[in-house]
Amino acid sequence: MFTGFAKDTTVKHSKLYFYDLNLKANYQIDDNNKIFLSGYFGKDVMSIKDLFGLDYGNMTGTLRLNHIFSGKLFSNTSLIYSKYNYNVHILDNSNDVKVTSAIKDFHFKQDFNYYLNTANKLSFGFESTFHLTQPGNAVSSEASSYNDISLQNKHSVESALYLSDEWNASNKLKITYGLRLSELNVLGPGTFYTYDQNGNKADSSHYNSGQIVKSYFTPEPRIAASYQLNEQSSVKLSYDRNVQNIHLLSNSSFSSTSVYLPSSNNIKPEIADQISTGYYRTFHQGAYEFSTELYYKKLQNQIDYKNGADLIGNENIEADLLYGDGRAYGWETFFKKKTGRFTGWLSYTLSRTERKIAGINDGNYYPATQDQTHHISLVGMYQASKKWTFSADFVYNTGNAVTWPSQKFSVDGAPVYYYSERNSSRMPAYQRLDLGATLIAKKTAKYESSWTFSLYNAYGQANPYTIEFQTDPKNTNKTQVLQTTLFKTVPAVTYNFKF
Amino acid sequence: MKMKNIKSIITLIALTIAVYSCTKTIEPPLVNSPPQLVIEGAVSDTAGPYHVTISKSVDFYADNTYPGVSGATVTITDQTAGVNDVLTETSTGNYTTHSIVGKPGSTYQLTVLLDGKTYTSTSTMPYPVALDSITFDYTIVKNLIQPVVHFQDPAAYTNYYKFSVQVNGVKVKRFQTFDDRLSNGKYINTDVVLDTGAIKKNDLVNVSLVATDKGANTFLSEAENIAFYNSDQAAPATPTSNITGGCLGYFSAQTVSSKKKILK
Repeated sequence: MFTGFAKDTTVKHSKLYFYDLNLKANYQIDDNNKIFLSGYFGKDVMSIKDLFGLDYGNMTGTLRLNHIFSGKLFSNTSLIYSKYNYNVHILDNSNDVKVTSAIKDFHFKQDFNYYLNTANKLSFGFESTFHLTQPGNAVSSEASSYNDISLQNKHSVESALYLSDEWNASNKLKITYGLRLSELNVLGPGTFYTYDQNGNKADSSHYNSGQIVKSYFTPEPRIAASYQLNEQSSVKLSYDRNVQNIHLLSNSSFSSTSVYLPSSNNIKPEIADQISTGYYRTFHQGAYEFSTELYYKKLQNQIDYKNGADLIGNENIEADLLYGDGRAYGWETFFKKKTGRFTGWLSYTLSRTERKIAGINDGNYYPATQDQTHHISLVGMYQASKKWTFSADFVYNTGNAVTWPSQKFSVDGAPVYYYSERNSSRMPAYQRLDLGATLIAKKTAKYESSWTFSLYNAYGQANPYTIEFQTDPKNTNKTQVLQTTLFKTVPAVTYNFKF
Repeated sequence: MKMKNIKSIITLIALTIAVYSCTKTIEPPLVNSPPQLVIEGAVSDTAGPYHVTISKSVDFYADNTYPGVSGATVTITDQTAGVNDVLTETSTGNYTTHSIVGKPGSTYQLTVLLDGKTYTSTSTMPYPVALDSITFDYTIVKNLIQPVVHFQDPAAYTNYYKFSVQVNGVKVKRFQTFDDRLSNGKYINTDVVLDTGAIKKNDLVNVSLVATDKGANTFLSEAENIAFYNSDQAAPATPTSNITGGCLGYFSAQTVSSKKKILK
């Protein structure tokens, strides 16, 4: 897409494209049964001739059966398949490496809705997901300097049973409460290691296909009460617990190399207990909406990297991890204009997310990478005519917490950096304004087509993609901090149609 | 191993992406820390004398000039032969050996006494690995030429390497590590990463294949990641020294095999 503009001939032999495809269909079998089918395919390809190729794909398919047992009992049965994969191909002299990696999920879900009486609506059901993670195989040619590597596939089944009740205790008080019992089973086949404090293998055991390596059972209670103060305003108080079995390990600066890991014999499910309270109100017969909320989260089984963790081709990535607790708290405010030709919203969040992990910053609380003190989002849409709609979307947030050096010293004549603490510096704040205009070209009952003209990062803010500490190429007796920005303003035209 | 090839490729891709990107230097505030003590020393299988340098780290925004530290008592002991060599401070912060001779398979201990504190490290010299030849990779990036080293990795041992380069007799201020974790027993052909313009036509390029032990490699490979690839580290941190006592730097007993070639 962008390669056509490039002058460099190498770049002209390159490919950069992506596509997305959405499909949706539903079928009414009879009065009580309806089938829904939906699918999504996406693929991104980037390659530089004779040098490098990268493609990643996303795919999900959902089949859902909606069944009406009676006027009080409804059921939804879903089968969901999803797959995410990426392939990297590197060519370099005689050394070539092909790396493939994929995550596949098979998900079954059975939900029931039961209208017990006018005051109580029950939801209950169960679900089970089989996760298959193929972390990576690297294949090289005979002449390559590298041996092939194959990382062990990871298997797990996540199951849950749940019941919740929406109870209209009075015409002013509504209480939603429930319990979810979730269990994660880490399964064989494979060899599973435990590690000592220095990250060396302490013990290993082998499991056959289907054997349970480790089970985690977690009850997840929740309760939320909302009270209608008057026609316009209400207050809410809630507590809930959430368990997370897919863990995102973000890299300190390079988000494209973030790693997702499933819970394992070493990595425990992350647990978040949250209490929150809020005030909500509408103005002018619902034309405006305002809300403000406070929250506090207690986090268990948080994960971060050991100092100097190396992720490339690392089969024992779990040996490079540390575990501990965390906390997050914040205040969110939201204001929305819902009606009229001009609509939009403004939101502001003040928050803090911290971790406390033995082995990092002497076991003191430190900001998590994604800790954002301020986050502002402003969105506006203006319906100028039946054909034209204009939009503007502005976002501002505090930069991520990052680990930057404080001193430097010489190793073999090259400056090497000394770091005193994890995540004690901040990336520059991020800000961006996107503008858009949509023209409806054709609209009939069955067919609709439109053109969207957009300007990404309209005022060309140089947001950092990477920050690098390096020797100043113009004066090798100095070091400098170099910020790289990937895209400044990017114009785009898209054509959409629906039928 | 560090997959340096892949990193050099990623560097090239980063350069290509640069067609669509832009860079600028910034001066963000950095955390203040007191200067740290740095000890750097080596014994090799090439002729002595060998050197130990002691210096202090400086602030990131200061010049790359590191003040030498005088008055230390520096000893290198050949533990295998049972020989002690007390080094002489030949210039500020530079300490030089007298008699000790580096031999593959021998273990050496460095002891530094300074201001009432003791810093020690031991390193065992590995068996030498011969550098067969060097060639040049004329990369797709203009003026970026990189030496390519060719050598056989011995399958019987775990091997750790460092590549260093001299151009017309002047040491390039860059180093690169390699180990055989993903390459054991392979014939290795790998690029030695240099900056654009570092070598030109008619330059005499000398590449050394330095074999080190594990402790020195841990420090050097972490130092390399921090020095040249700090923007893609998961958790950047001070490289782990193989010297105990609370200082930065490393001590290495190492073998050296070099090849020279004029760039045509």
